[in-house]
Amino acid sequence: MKEVIGLITANYGTRDMQRLSDERSIASMPFGGRYRLIDFSLSNMINSGITAVGLITPYKFRSLLDHIGTGSAWMLDRKKGGLYILPGTTYGMSDKSDRFLLCDMCQNDVYFHRTNAEYVLVTSANIVCNMDYTPLIEAHTESGADITMVTKIAERSNKYIKKVNVEDGKVVGVKAGVERGELAFLDSFIIRRELLIQFMEWYSVKEYMDIFDILRKDYKRMDIRTWNYDGYVREIFSVKDYYNTNMELLDMDINGTLFNEQMPIRTKVQDCVPAHVYPQAKVKNSLISSGCLIRGEVENSILFRGVTVEEGAIIRDSIIMQSSVIKSGAIVKNAVIDRNNLIGSDMVIKGSEEDIYVMLKEQRKAKKMG
Amino acid sequence: MGRHKKCIAMLLAGGQGSRLGALTKDIAKPAVSFGGKYRIIDFSLSNCSNSGIDTVGVLTQYRPFELNSYVGDGEAWDFSSVDGGVYILPPYETQTGGKWYKGTADAIYRNLDFLRKFNADYVLILSGDHLYRMNYNDMLKNHIKKGAVATISVMEVPWEEASRFGILSTDEEGRVTKFAEKPKKPESNLASMGIYIFNTEVLINKLIEDADDEDSSHDFGKNIIPKLLKENEPVNAYRFEGFWKDVGTIESYYETNMQLLKEKPEFSMIDEKFPIMSNSNIYPVQYIGTTATLENCIINNGCKIYGRIKNSIIGNGCVIKEGAYIEDSLILPDTVIEEDVKVVRSIVGEHTVVRQGARIGLREGEITVIGNNETIKKGAVKP
Repeated sequence: MKEVIGLITANYGTRDMQRLSDERSIASMPFGGRYRLIDFSLSNMINSGITAVGLITPYKFRSLLDHIGTGSAWMLDRKKGGLYILPGTTYGMSDKSDRFLLCDMCQNDVYFHRTNAEYVLVTSANIVCNMDYTPLIEAHTESGADITMVTKIAERSNKYIKKVNVEDGKVVGVKAGVERGELAFLDSFIIRRELLIQFMEWYSVKEYMDIFDILRKDYKRMDIRTWNYDGYVREIFSVKDYYNTNMELLDMDINGTLFNEQMPIRTKVQDCVPAHVYPQAKVKNSLISSGCLIRGEVENSILFRGVTVEEGAIIRDSIIMQSSVIKSGAIVKNAVIDRNNLIGSDMVIKGSEEDIYVMLKEQRKAKKMG
Repeated sequence: MGRHKKCIAMLLAGGQGSRLGALTKDIAKPAVSFGGKYRIIDFSLSNCSNSGIDTVGVLTQYRPFELNSYVGDGEAWDFSSVDGGVYILPPYETQTGGKWYKGTADAIYRNLDFLRKFNADYVLILSGDHLYRMNYNDMLKNHIKKGAVATISVMEVPWEEASRFGILSTDEEGRVTKFAEKPKKPESNLASMGIYIFNTEVLINKLIEDADDEDSSHDFGKNIIPKLLKENEPVNAYRFEGFWKDVGTIESYYETNMQLLKEKPEFSMIDEKFPIMSNSNIYPVQYIGTTATLENCIINNGCKIYGRIKNSIIGNGCVIKEGAYIEDSLILPDTVIEEDVKVVRSIVGEHTVVRQGARIGLREGEITVIGNNETIKKGAVKP
């Protein structure tokens, strides 16, 4: 196999995260009780044998870099290759949700020059999937295409996902927004490194745009192909995507395809004490992370590390992030409670399936952070 | 030579722990699982890390594979350091032949190169078998303040148990006046915890003398400490108050685990300022299924629970299937309990599979122990 370096782009946001991503990028959104969204892209890279990974950071990168550190959790603290932090440009703050800004790559062109790798595998950081890129790399090298885009027939419509138009096996264009049943671009592609470097020169006047928009008039002149992925995949752009995708982890078939020993999704290790479910507690169909102390009722919910649920509290169909405390008598339903919140006694928080209630980080502080 | 170090630790982790029976059949006692996620050695390693000691020699001997791979380079306990870290020190061959470590003192003696390489002012000698939280820095400060050549950490034990320990008598200043290994008629109830601090130079000299003594059993408690006292060297006792346990038997191992389930455990894992760290595999989050019923349980990373569990600890990565019933038991990591199995008052080892309908344990009498890597056949009965 020819050498491939990775590139993860995290420099974008959307308005539909209801301020959950105000202080952090979508890439560092906590997910599934102990993960962050970027864990999937990073783990997929290393599980596919890619050991040099560049990360284009968002403007607000504190939480992302706090999570990633030296990359040791993904074995990316290496002599050969490893993790490269590539500062993103301010264009990422435009909320246009462009995932592959050329200027982000131009600004970090050194990363692409200081390597002999033949290909660059690029992916965005909001994708929940356990994908082996090896067959993609093989398909791309065999076909000799300029670019191979990862695609899938859309299971539902989404305005943020690009629709891919294909004629005679080649991509002839993309357009914003995909309807159910159409071919969706999964925001991952592989490109010859030399070609990507040429893009930076050819299109420098349009560098503030997404690569796939820049190529608009040139699709027909190039050899761009698709590679279909038929596994489980979700992209997170909105609170609804975020909530639904988290909740799907309670389906143990989906959970098992995402989290398995052969292709483990790695994350920063936080050495928490085990979860304690006390005699008064009732827990059904829920993910309960380490460090949780449960004395109340929890059903169809996802509790992150160190959540305390007092006796008589009821949590249903909700996501409760790290270190939050749900006091006795409180009721939380269809809600996303961000980190370190205190839900007081007899407080009732009720969203609905259509309209998830969101409580921002430390909106009602549970404790002083040490 | 590297940066000057004040104190390094030597952790004796070669013990078999023969009284733990099936649990130490294929692993050393310090590698035995605790609380469903920890291993016994986590406590001494975490204590070192939390006390700011950055260099630890781990002396292994009995069944070392699991222990060595678990300890690794010590990164899990924050020991990655350019001029320190964790070093596994097994017995080795020399030009004149090789032999096993013959005793605690011999194990250190055979690693004098290591002590000399780091050339710290003090050496802390520990056992990897004990459960406790202790800031060794406090002990070191006490050692320096008293101007002793050696300090032994001691705690009061019930008089009726005193004859199981090394018992010390001290004067008002805490200077040790007498040391008796497992005395039939104890004169004091101050027991040695097997934790020593030595001035490095004194330790090296004493170990060399001891190695030449053919009558010695090369043991700190039996030989080195009595010799220092005989020579009238200042040996200091440092009183420790708090939880400390040598989980030497199945009963004490079981009880010390099970007390974690109490509303206020005597020895709790929860302490943000002095955390017990461990080197765990990556597991997804614990899932509690729709068919599960939990009543006072500790559930670790990666568990999938579909059965009924009462008053039990379930280790990392266990699967408890629908219809299974577990009560007053300790299920060690990565074990599968299949449908309709009943487990009461038992310890089920790591990587074990208990097939459908099996019955394990009795409500009374001795605790039932199933070892690591076993398969209990469908419908089998293991009282």
